[in-house]
Amino acid sequence: MELLEPTREAFRLLFTGDAELWRIIFISLSCSLAALLLIGPPSVALGFLIAKVAFPGRRALVVLVQALLSFPTVVVGLVIYMLLSRQGPLGFLKLLFTPEAMIIGYMVIALPVLVVFTLSAVQGADPRVYETARSLGAGKYRAAVTTLFEVRFGVMAALFNGFGRVVSEVGCSIMVGGNIAGLTRNIPTAIALETSKGEFAQGIALGFVLIVLALGVNVALSVLQGEGGMK
Amino acid sequence: MSYPVLELKSLIKSFPQRELLRGVDFALEAGGSYVLTGDNGCGKTTLLRIVAGLEAADGGMLRFKGAAIDLGHYPEALRRELVYVHQQPYLFNTGIAHNIAYGLKMRGVPKRRRELLVEEAIAWAGVGHLGSVLPHKLSGGEKQRVALARAKVLNPGLLLLDEPTANLDNDARRQTLALIEALRHEDVTVMIASHDREIIAMPHVERLHLEAGRVRAL
Repeated sequence: MELLEPTREAFRLLFTGDAELWRIIFISLSCSLAALLLIGPPSVALGFLIAKVAFPGRRALVVLVQALLSFPTVVVGLVIYMLLSRQGPLGFLKLLFTPEAMIIGYMVIALPVLVVFTLSAVQGADPRVYETARSLGAGKYRAAVTTLFEVRFGVMAALFNGFGRVVSEVGCSIMVGGNIAGLTRNIPTAIALETSKGEFAQGIALGFVLIVLALGVNVALSVLQGEGGMK
Repeated sequence: MSYPVLELKSLIKSFPQRELLRGVDFALEAGGSYVLTGDNGCGKTTLLRIVAGLEAADGGMLRFKGAAIDLGHYPEALRRELVYVHQQPYLFNTGIAHNIAYGLKMRGVPKRRRELLVEEAIAWAGVGHLGSVLPHKLSGGEKQRVALARAKVLNPGLLLLDEPTANLDNDARRQTLALIEALRHEDVTVMIASHDREIIAMPHVERLHLEAGRVRAL
């Protein structure tokens, strides 16, 4: 297989601002970030509550959320497909094969990552954080925010990992997005499609973008942690 | 004229295999300094934490400034009157000034006033030279002094200190003792759980002793 020519073509596509390629990147980023923005706050709150509040069934909920971490994304896609399909209970919304359907799928996929990482960060926090905040006059909500701020690097790791999981996800995107050019074709589905057609240049370019994103996210986390994160 | 800030009656607290507090009664007068002594594990910390609303009591009555407090539903307003400082205080991983400003912010003190009060508290605790050092880099004594400044700046109705000089070296201990002594001039009612002989021997300090689940004055 000739690798040099497709690679050269890949970089040409990237650096000449190929409209189709950058549209795919835009769809990937916008859907992933929208999903994180929507599911991030409730997931972080849920992770905090599971970590801090004792309630019946807490252990079962933790096991369920942890199990969801390894849930195949294509199955998530299948469930959402069935819900959104014309005969499905949510078919009237007409969301199947739209970016909104992909965002819903990403939210479901990101939720366990965000909850488990937040739960772990809060459980690892010094119990004196919450007590100190309360003792200094903070209400329950404010003390929770203070605790989350104290474990902010763990919460950021949750968000970045959630982003990493959804931005590189194929199964659900194809199932509920349909890989429609210019509408729901994102980086991983485009790579799968182009590779299956034997067109490697775009796949290499998009793969390069994914790798840069993955590295960028980790570098950003490391920079944000800085000295404050290294106790 | 002095009046009771805190009155406890028949306070009880049990753990699964132990009855820790078996009817604690005492009263603290406004502006007074009190030291609570007792053997390790006798319940001093638990008692302070119950008063601060950080732990639930099994029964008993608490009055603060004459008002009866339902220990089952510790009022949020009371949290703004009492400040509890852990044996090893926790400082938020931000900065010293931010730590001291935290409680003021929770009380809605305007920014300018807050900055002024923080500045005064930093000078009072003698931690101005620490500047922007992050809390996790401070020594135990420095953390204790910042925590005392953070508590004192709130001008609490009652300040609860849990073993403030434990695990400190001599210098740090002396500086902490000086701040505790200085609190007396600030008209703050202080209750200190401690084994420190120097605190126990302070002339103005009234001594309470917790033994077999009950408190008696010495």
